[in-house]
Amino acid sequence: MKQVPEEISVADPDLDPETWLDQYGDYLYQFALARIRNKAVAEDLVQETFLAALHGRKSFKGRSAVKTWLSAILKHKIVDYLRNKRREQVINDTDTVTETVDGFFHRNGSWKIRPGKWTLDPSKIYEQREFMDTFYKCLSDLPDRLSKAFMLREMEGYSTKEICNALQVSSTNSWVMVYRARMFLRRCLELFWFKKQRTKTDNVSLDV
Amino acid sequence: MSHWMFNCKEVSRRISESMDHDISLYQRMLIRMHLLMCRYCARFRRQVLFLRELCRSRRLDESVLDTSVNLPPDARERIRQALKP
Repeated sequence: MKQVPEEISVADPDLDPETWLDQYGDYLYQFALARIRNKAVAEDLVQETFLAALHGRKSFKGRSAVKTWLSAILKHKIVDYLRNKRREQVINDTDTVTETVDGFFHRNGSWKIRPGKWTLDPSKIYEQREFMDTFYKCLSDLPDRLSKAFMLREMEGYSTKEICNALQVSSTNSWVMVYRARMFLRRCLELFWFKKQRTKTDNVSLDV
Repeated sequence: MSHWMFNCKEVSRRISESMDHDISLYQRMLIRMHLLMCRYCARFRRQVLFLRELCRSRRLDESVLDTSVNLPPDARERIRQALKP
């Protein structure tokens, strides 16, 4: 999201972190609270976000609006938090997500777990808290590096080169990582959102 | 299927890659031919494109925010202290 117009002009690396706090503190807190729903944790994540922003200030260089940049940092913090929390809860970690997509296909390369039919109602997607919860749950189900690669690419719009720099991988590696992330993420949404929606209602909706 | 054609695994990987860098015209053509015959790969394609649209939409960020709550003053003060050089 490089060219998103924003209310504040950006690109001043000397921008005072205290100004960020005044301007975006409430927004980031609301954002964290909407996804975590625990005030103390939300406060901590906002604090961590500002500290990370302070340290990463030099690399920011105004590639996006300050608000977008700060939200992006916060999103990574949220996903990391959710992942760690689940690890603590699940003692016997039987992660369904493996490192490869082999399980999705037969040996001859045809689909073994076929992509299902998604019927979705756009208004529901954007307005329902449950969808947001499912989406973040699925992101945090991914192995750390896969979710990072995916979020950098799809949420922050990084180029291949930028992802390679950020994660210290080759181009080919970055493509494979994002591919796996897409595969698992769409499967997770299918299992935990679209299937449930289909059984709940049969209203008129878009076929995606 | 003939040996020069892509199978579903190869097609899905290339569909994903085509969203991250340019792939050759020949590969695009093979994908397109495969998509004509395979509804599952066509679904895969629509679904990953939907994921992209979802992630890039500002609506996702702005949705379900409760704008009536604010960062509590004590937390704000704590963060302010932490940010001091």
